[in-house]
Amino acid sequence: MILADFGTSYTKILDLDQSQPEPTIIATRELDKDRRVDLATGHNARRFCKAYVNELIALARGGEELIGEPDYLLLDCGSRDLKYVRYQGGQLQDMGWNAECGASMGFTIELLERYFNLDFTSMAVPDRTLSVTCGVLGISSIFDAITTGIPEAEAVARFVKGIAVNAYRFAGSPAKIYLSGGLCDNALFVKSFPCDVVVLGRFVLLAGLKRSLAMNENHYDQPG
Amino acid sequence: MPATLPNELLFLTQHPLQRVGIVGVPPLAVIQTLNTRNIEIFDLDALLVREDMETTLDLLPRVYCAILRTVVLNAIHLPLDAIVIDVGPGKCDAAFHVATILKEELAIPVITTINQDNHPFGTSICRTKLGLIEKMSLITEGVKSAAPSGDYQPCLPEAGFWGVPPRDFSILEHFPATTHIYGWSRCMENKTPADTALEVHCNLSIPTIFFAQTFCAKTALAKHLARRHPRALFLDIDLHTGSSAKAKIEAFLELSGVNR
Repeated sequence: MILADFGTSYTKILDLDQSQPEPTIIATRELDKDRRVDLATGHNARRFCKAYVNELIALARGGEELIGEPDYLLLDCGSRDLKYVRYQGGQLQDMGWNAECGASMGFTIELLERYFNLDFTSMAVPDRTLSVTCGVLGISSIFDAITTGIPEAEAVARFVKGIAVNAYRFAGSPAKIYLSGGLCDNALFVKSFPCDVVVLGRFVLLAGLKRSLAMNENHYDQPG
Repeated sequence: MPATLPNELLFLTQHPLQRVGIVGVPPLAVIQTLNTRNIEIFDLDALLVREDMETTLDLLPRVYCAILRTVVLNAIHLPLDAIVIDVGPGKCDAAFHVATILKEELAIPVITTINQDNHPFGTSICRTKLGLIEKMSLITEGVKSAAPSGDYQPCLPEAGFWGVPPRDFSILEHFPATTHIYGWSRCMENKTPADTALEVHCNLSIPTIFFAQTFCAKTALAKHLARRHPRALFLDIDLHTGSSAKAKIEAFLELSGVNR
């Protein structure tokens, strides 16, 4: 049984038939187009799987699997969008999926790191933020800031902080956030949240798929 | 000021009309008159033509209620003899402004009404076991008839849908047949579109999605009611239901334990 989270930029795969299953990561653009897995989630999943679990369900089930508390906010910051689920008393209370206004934030951060040759692990959180509504519009703000004399690294750091603050507000400004997704690996992003952050890593949706499988939930077979 | 009811009826009775468009829920007396004279009714709130929405941009801003953009799209492309637009408390201010625009831009009479009908016709479609798209279609079709909707058997609700009939019915496809309908759609079946007490009614014991069209004033009411409901999801959608909106509905129902 092979599970996979087909993200926009990266695909996370877990082969449960291995003696000690460990997730692997591959760039989505490098996937063999004939690749098929048994159960999957993610933006690109429908093309590659026999059965599908929608991303919010996988995220919620992942939270149930990994967070041993009745009340929590779990936020997933991926390459393309933002998603969250909020549980209260062990029950789903609220959810959100921002695929439009959260567009391409994670993707843009990775792009900027390479373009400006930056190392986010060593950068300090700036005092100020750029007002960011999406990755694409945010790039204009960065270049505007640079033209006013702000160093490139500082401008990008303000952008990253702007995205973190935006994600925090989208999630309802909670006191504590459990963080999922590719941006968990970006230390500057994680430190930029104005609240407590517990980093769960990139494999929360895979944990959700495992739980969904164990619960024997209805999965949606793909046509063809 | 909008015309009074007798003048509207006078016009509809005296002129040779074959095809009349309606917007919102005009008073029952108007629908009775149109039915009696066998005048074909077009519900301009619904998707009736396959024309490009961009053709409305001369008359309406792009950022506007998708239902009223659809009204204008239908109005400028359908061969109609007259249009009756309800602009009372059962519709909205935006419809009032659209009526003004259509009156000045179209070559046909555009009649405004203020529907304050308060005789309840019943809400059995809203409470019966039937696919949600089918139920909503019956309700929207019912606006063209002065007769009650029929006597459908009630079922125990497993989920709720609160709101107006959406422009894009694909939002309704993930709900179970045991979904009960609330909000203005229920007022519509009841033929009391201005019944605000009925509009805010919902069932606190079932997971409910509170829907409004993006840019509609009802988004405030939908969000408010969702905040006060113990198991609710507020959703606003513009022209089309995107994949993330459908996924939210699917996840909300599944994580709330609702069987499809």
